[in-house]
Amino acid sequence: MSQTAELKEREDKLQGMGTSLLRKEDAKFIRGQGSYIDDIKLPGMLFGAVVRSPYAHARIKGIDKAKALACPGVVAVLTADDLKPVNLHWMPTLGGDVQAVLADKKVCFQYQEVAMVLASDRYAAYDGAALVEVDYEELPAIVDPKKSMAPDAPIIREDIQDKKEVGHGPRTHPNHIFTWEAGDKAAADAAFKTAEITVREEMLNPRVHPCPLETCGCVASFDKPTGYLTVYMTSQAPHLVRTVLAMLSGIAESKIRVIGGDIGGGFGNKVPVYPGYVVAIVASIVTGVPIKWIESRIDNISTTGFARDYHGVGELAADKDGRIKGLRFSALADHGAFNSHVSATKFPAGLFSICTGSYAIPNAYARVDAVYTNKAPGGVAYRCSLRVTEAIYLIERMMDVLALKLGLDKAEIRRRNFVRSDQFPYTTSLGWTLDSGAYHPALEKVLKAVGYEGLRKEQAAKRADPKSPTLMGIGISTFTEIVGAGPTKVCDILGVGLFDSCEIRIHPTGGVIARLGTMSQGQGHATTYAQIIATELGLPAADIVVEEGDTDKSPYGAGTWGSRSTPVSGAATAMAARKIKDKAKKIAAHLLEVSEGDLEWEIDRFKVKGNPSQAKTMKEICMVAHTGNLPAGMEQGLNAVTYYDPPNLTFPFGAYLCVVDVDKFTGEVKVRRFYALDDCGTRINPMVIEGQIHGGLTEAFAVAMGQQIPFDENGNHLGNSLMDYFLPTAVETPKWETDHTVTLCPHHPLGAKGVAESPHVGGIPCFSNAVIDAFAHLGVTHMDMPHSAWRVWQQCNTLGVNKR
Amino acid sequence: MKVRLEKAFPMPASADAAWALLQVIAGVASCMPGAKITEQVDATHYKGTVALKVGPASLSFRGEIEVKSLDASTRTLHLFAKGTDTTGSSAASMDLTARVDAQDANSCSLAGDSEVSMSGKAASFGARLMGPVSEQVLGQFAANFAARLKQAPPQAGAAAPAPGAAAPAPEAKPLNALALAWAVIKGWLRALFTGKRA
Repeated sequence: MSQTAELKEREDKLQGMGTSLLRKEDAKFIRGQGSYIDDIKLPGMLFGAVVRSPYAHARIKGIDKAKALACPGVVAVLTADDLKPVNLHWMPTLGGDVQAVLADKKVCFQYQEVAMVLASDRYAAYDGAALVEVDYEELPAIVDPKKSMAPDAPIIREDIQDKKEVGHGPRTHPNHIFTWEAGDKAAADAAFKTAEITVREEMLNPRVHPCPLETCGCVASFDKPTGYLTVYMTSQAPHLVRTVLAMLSGIAESKIRVIGGDIGGGFGNKVPVYPGYVVAIVASIVTGVPIKWIESRIDNISTTGFARDYHGVGELAADKDGRIKGLRFSALADHGAFNSHVSATKFPAGLFSICTGSYAIPNAYARVDAVYTNKAPGGVAYRCSLRVTEAIYLIERMMDVLALKLGLDKAEIRRRNFVRSDQFPYTTSLGWTLDSGAYHPALEKVLKAVGYEGLRKEQAAKRADPKSPTLMGIGISTFTEIVGAGPTKVCDILGVGLFDSCEIRIHPTGGVIARLGTMSQGQGHATTYAQIIATELGLPAADIVVEEGDTDKSPYGAGTWGSRSTPVSGAATAMAARKIKDKAKKIAAHLLEVSEGDLEWEIDRFKVKGNPSQAKTMKEICMVAHTGNLPAGMEQGLNAVTYYDPPNLTFPFGAYLCVVDVDKFTGEVKVRRFYALDDCGTRINPMVIEGQIHGGLTEAFAVAMGQQIPFDENGNHLGNSLMDYFLPTAVETPKWETDHTVTLCPHHPLGAKGVAESPHVGGIPCFSNAVIDAFAHLGVTHMDMPHSAWRVWQQCNTLGVNKR
Repeated sequence: MKVRLEKAFPMPASADAAWALLQVIAGVASCMPGAKITEQVDATHYKGTVALKVGPASLSFRGEIEVKSLDASTRTLHLFAKGTDTTGSSAASMDLTARVDAQDANSCSLAGDSEVSMSGKAASFGARLMGPVSEQVLGQFAANFAARLKQAPPQAGAAAPAPGAAAPAPEAKPLNALALAWAVIKGWLRALFTGKRA
């Protein structure tokens, strides 16, 4: 065997970074042997069902439990009054506000939690819940956030009516939550005053819901003799939840164990702490038996973590060549009845200030006003690193609006404004330092791949032909994401910094167990982290076990959301592995009787420079580390733990192009082609990345084309079942063409960036840009999502293009 | 979720006979598919129930009816009904004005103008069907009302009979979902082919 072949064989055996190792976790899932919350059955367990409000806004005049208590199987009915003695009828939210655990005298959104019925089984609990009689006095509801701050608007939150602030600065109205600003307003205003061209457009990111396949739920088990609380729950952030539970309950954090188990999709929906969890926990503490609470689909869509609901206004100022001189973006944010929007303390509007996108914009100002309405609380969810989707939607749409106004090509307007490769690191006018990027090459690669010139020619021909039954649209999105929260100097939740962790233990025969503070919900962590360790330590990925989600086992971390796992925990994994490698090197030097400086690393071993036959494999070193044959003073073992505080966020980017054909007569939008080029730096497992991109694009398609949570004027939810809510299947989903470039992240130990959210963030404006481009020659500058056939047909009909 | 319905139905009896029947709230209620008066609280207040099954939503409303006014000079009844689903997951209210318009000795017209407002599960699930369902319910109501008029025409010009004096109400049955669905589809098809979208 030649030397290179031998090296390749050794490398292949590791299945390390860069290989498309099949996902280690899938063996159980494809056999139907995952273990989800609802699979957990503990002896003596009771089931809790939640009684919910039919009204969006009402006073509770009385609750009669008698009939429910008489129902066979029902053990107890808990209301706010029952939680008061333990002071758990209200709870703090991850957004600095408080939220009613069970409605206290008043309900503020439809389906709000009013009571929980505990019964011997699920059916008895639901039967009992139907018998709880609640006497309501209906109040006028605020559904439109634009009416929230009207002088005569009904006050939604009487509990904080007189508070001057709720966690994020002064309030100007009882229904006002916060106003957040970034950038230099005076400079931006000045740029607009002197600009040759200005454009302005209002655009809505409608309220949507990530709708993970598994709904939220928990099994809470309090052991009275020991005082230990164990909670199995659907949580993307088990450690943060444990901290919140300790703060809430007064139980020592060391006596609380939160276990994530397998999670059937999260997308941000499973970050917050929901009332159902808290009531189940209190019920277990009170009754001393385990309590299970599982949401129905309707509960999930109508009450837990929704996304978006940003009513945006975008303004750009430019010179006549299309070079942007100023940006002013604002949004009215509908946060629902409680501000449970998960946000880093210093970023109440999330990372909205990434709204300058991939462009060099010298003057910018952004502002978000958040208000209460009589709708479910939330706003953070959906495959988006805290309001990045809203920000990127605005800038990517506004680039098209500006191009249209100037008569410029939509690729050209981007070329003229991109941050150039030689400008990195580039600090934006809203304060982010984009560490790396190569925007021009990415766009050119995509344009070449799809034959952009040809597509535009075809479009021009179609536009000139009145007999064409379709309108053709081409959408471009050249986005920059901001993921991997984040540096503890700027990012914390409830005071806890957003670092993350990895602990690695190596056993004598070379088996490895790695435990992390993150929590996979389908991202393939068991595979990706194992591959990092495989490459770093030269031990096969097959023998590396990854464990997450059990707070008793894994070191503290902020969990998995905002594409932070690879940027933060991936880095922690590499750093922990390198600590072990340093120790291994000392052992190797000791065994080979050379100095450390004489050793070099080769795939899975240390060898003596210039004498390759003298080498020690990592596997050999693992055994030696557990013997007495060690350098003087060295302890046994090969273990390490790292807490990684990232110096910056990571900025993955991409260039997407979408071609649609719109049926003039039915309004149906057919996606002819979608080409997605992503740059996430070092690619650890290309297949896992591809899967994440497919998933993110499919969810982008869902949002752009059909998802929306509508309400009527009384605050009735009009789309909380899968009969109404659009979840695309293989039937509707277009074919995705993927591509990539690699621009390393300079501050990440592996050069990697997050990726899972990029396709969602970049995909949504790409679809919108394509649909609107189909109408651009008819003077249309914007159409709000979702671009369902009905809504697009209305546009066709208004313009009269559906007349033969 | 609100829907407003204005409808008039021909009745095979004199205006006075129809007006006499209209004032018997228990009798009127029993013409409503699935509805029943369970208690008369006082001269103008009643309690009752309505059972309704539409697709996945099975609803059993209980609530109160208040007779706001009875105007003999215009033969107009104004009532307000509101109720909650017994499972507490839905609520509904109806503001109804019903008027009898004379035509000739043996026929008249019953005109109804109602605003129905729904919340909760009924609104979530039933929204898209609410218009056509309400129309069908009203249609069935009119048919029952007409049948009752034929069956036991009250004396023309008679004063309003005492509450409870009407013939015993037929047993309230939940609205038949299948028949209702068929009627809705028929109505929709008819509207489609006459170019009048519901």
